Amino acid sequence: MAKKISNVRLIKATLLALWFTLKNLLRKPVTIQYPLIKRPLPERWRGGTFALTIDPETGEENCIGCKLCEKICPSEIITVEMEKHSGRGWAKSFILDLQACIQCELCVQVCPTDAIVMLHSMETPTTRREDLILDKDKLEANGKLYHAAWATGLKLQRLHEPKKPSVISR
Amino acid sequence: MEERVIEREFGELAINMGPQHPSTHGVFRLELHLRGETVVKVTPHIGYLHRGVEKLSETLEYDMLPPIYERDDYLSPTANSLAFVLAVEKLAGIEVPRRANYLRVITAELQRLASHLVWLGTFGLDLGGALGGGSTLFLYCFRERERIMDLMEALTGTRFHTNMNQIGGVRYDVYDGFDRDVFKTLDYLETRISEYKEMLENNPIFLERTKDVGIVPQELAKEVGASGPVLRASGVPYDIRKNKPYSAYQEFNFQVPVGNKGDVYDRYTVRLKEMKESLSIVRQSLGGLPEGPIHSRKPVKTPSLFKPPKGEAYAAVESPRGELGVFLVSDGSSKPYRVKVRSPSFSNIAIIPHILPGHLVADTVSILGSLDPVFGDVDR
Amino acid sequence: MTFAESVSHGAILLGAIIGVVTYLTWVERKFSGRLQSRIGPYLVGRPHGWLQPIADALKLLSKEDITPAKTDRFLFNLAPIWVVVMSLLGFAFLPLTINWVLVNIDLGLLYFSAIGSLIVIGVFIAGWASNNKYALLSALRAAAQMVAYEVPLLLSLLVPAVLAGSLNFQDIILAQERIWFILFPVVGQISGITFLLAALAEGNRIPFDLSEAESELVAGFNIEYSGMKFAYFYLGEYVHLLAVSILVSILFLGGPLGPLLSGGVWIAFKTLIVFLIVLWIRWSFLRLRIDQMMMLNWKVLVPLTLGNLLLAGLWVSLSR
Repeated sequence: MAKKISNVRLIKATLLALWFTLKNLLRKPVTIQYPLIKRPLPERWRGGTFALTIDPETGEENCIGCKLCEKICPSEIITVEMEKHSGRGWAKSFILDLQACIQCELCVQVCPTDAIVMLHSMETPTTRREDLILDKDKLEANGKLYHAAWATGLKLQRLHEPKKPSVISR
Repeated sequence: MEERVIEREFGELAINMGPQHPSTHGVFRLELHLRGETVVKVTPHIGYLHRGVEKLSETLEYDMLPPIYERDDYLSPTANSLAFVLAVEKLAGIEVPRRANYLRVITAELQRLASHLVWLGTFGLDLGGALGGGSTLFLYCFRERERIMDLMEALTGTRFHTNMNQIGGVRYDVYDGFDRDVFKTLDYLETRISEYKEMLENNPIFLERTKDVGIVPQELAKEVGASGPVLRASGVPYDIRKNKPYSAYQEFNFQVPVGNKGDVYDRYTVRLKEMKESLSIVRQSLGGLPEGPIHSRKPVKTPSLFKPPKGEAYAAVESPRGELGVFLVSDGSSKPYRVKVRSPSFSNIAIIPHILPGHLVADTVSILGSLDPVFGDVDR
Repeated sequence: MTFAESVSHGAILLGAIIGVVTYLTWVERKFSGRLQSRIGPYLVGRPHGWLQPIADALKLLSKEDITPAKTDRFLFNLAPIWVVVMSLLGFAFLPLTINWVLVNIDLGLLYFSAIGSLIVIGVFIAGWASNNKYALLSALRAAAQMVAYEVPLLLSLLVPAVLAGSLNFQDIILAQERIWFILFPVVGQISGITFLLAALAEGNRIPFDLSEAESELVAGFNIEYSGMKFAYFYLGEYVHLLAVSILVSILFLGGPLGPLLSGGVWIAFKTLIVFLIVLWIRWSFLRLRIDQMMMLNWKVLVPLTLGNLLLAGLWVSLSR
């Protein structure tokens, strides 16, 4: 029981608790007033939503419709239809249901052409459910709204190569 | 779930504590039979947060599963995926590069710190209420935890469900200056943790509320299969990191803090000491981070191609709550045949009906808080 | 004072108390926010959340008023009114400056403590009428606690009365012209601290807020209350707290006495200090358990205050 400890120490500890909170009273608050002040996002931040990238040189979309992302998605929310013309594959349709996305980034990791990326975005809530079901047009439009996150398929795959030691920056 | 609680004897008051109650740490129902304010009988009811992870595992391929497992114990996500990944690696005989092991240890220990900080904060809430000193402690702890979340965010891109562990390695490598950031945070945490220690250790109210309350005898703890800080507070120096080292734990120097009586106060001290040990483990592992690859398999492409051999494997990690084990049966296909998760919280809360009778209602809350159950982990 | 004058003075006092209490909630939220490294109210009435109490009041007024089906309707509605009225009644006899007091009677101190202890009946009614097990437990705790803590509260209140030789608030204030009672060697400090502790217990403040104990009994006696009825309990709690703060500043800190500034300013200043100390204690400590609290009362506070009263009596009789 507390009786083992002398009364002086108990009183001291009581005052210590008060002193402790007082010390914190004098510290600066850590709150960030979110809608007014925005926290800087770290370089590797991934979150919110996805985009399908477009090759800036040719203006063609990068997605070849290989369905790798569809196959690895743990919540099975990606549906890709493939078509082939002009010498490569294309995604005829690409639907990503963001409602069940668990943000694991596995789809980005497997992409062989850096076509699907997560975005360096934060404020992506909507008021309508339909907005969360992203089709190809929406995904491509997203790419213009925000810039892509740090991780892309090729970068991650290079990082995971078992042989060579990886030297990469943030 | 429609079930009436009946007072069996005259003068007995039966109350349902939960599933919606501020201090059941999730959705948990305690059927308390009180005489005055003394608990005479208690029946815990679980299952409100069952999400069927084990069954779900049978329908998904191995490479998809680590992010799913992170949702299990939502206070220390990497520990869950680590247990699963270790089991698969054992089954398939995959060697993990040393650097990846170190990175796994770093994330696991950082999340252990975060988890224990959440525990300390919510324990304060249990003892002091949301409208008093408890919430002060709670917010201080969350302020500190925020630093760890920021570190995880900078390393992996998400704050919490990081998806760091993968079969064969880890997904992300450290960036330039990560060690500097971590050391800075660790120094900050060290001073703050000693501040809490100082604030609580001799505080008469805290001592009154925790000493000699909820004593778990060693035999009982062993009997119900308790593990982690709950078992160690009862005087059993059993820590999987020491007794059956996984990842890179055999390479680090750390103590296993042990209590002697097994009361709420001992569980508190054990956890607080563990936080200090975690700090030192992260320091050691980051200081000696070896160079090399972080993945031993070829980059994951098609999950259905990964087919571990027929057989079974059990791997356990020391999660912040105790022994978190994954038992895996494979039939040689690309999906697990059966997965069983041995969750520490489930075994730990099995103590409740044994030790609660005889305590007051207020102690119910502090005992439950000291066991630190996570109901995502209990019900899976 | 004529009847009309008393009514108008009473109305002014009532309005002032409600206004002050509304803003005391703002003070508390801001203070606790800074204590916990937060900012506290901010957006309503930027940048300091000046309009937050008014927004709160509007929200509570516009909320649906739910009366659960199996309650005792009359008592359920009576309880919040009872608590507020009893809390406000205490103010009638508190002098706010040396001369300004609504009703000046010789037994002011006795009356105040009598009214203060009636609040518990409202709490008990609320707990019983809610027909909820948590509320019932809370009501039982509240009753036990208040009956027990009434003893050291009164015993420590009597010390200033003994030192001043009167139960009249004005006499007590005037007796402190030479030295504040809190500065009175030994006797003053002990009775001041014990009074504050007992008042915290009686006013259901942490570390003694066992009847509200939201981590155990969810919200205790006001678990079934919502909207304006809940606001009444809240108001009652703060009015009582304000009264206790004023009482401490009158009994131990010399009330309106002080150099340069007028009495009203001094008493307001002292009351605010006491109020902040109470808040500081509230946001720094954990909660005691019911048996430990009773132990503290009967084994520590009661003997201490009894001895202290004896000491005060000796002091007075020897120095006469």
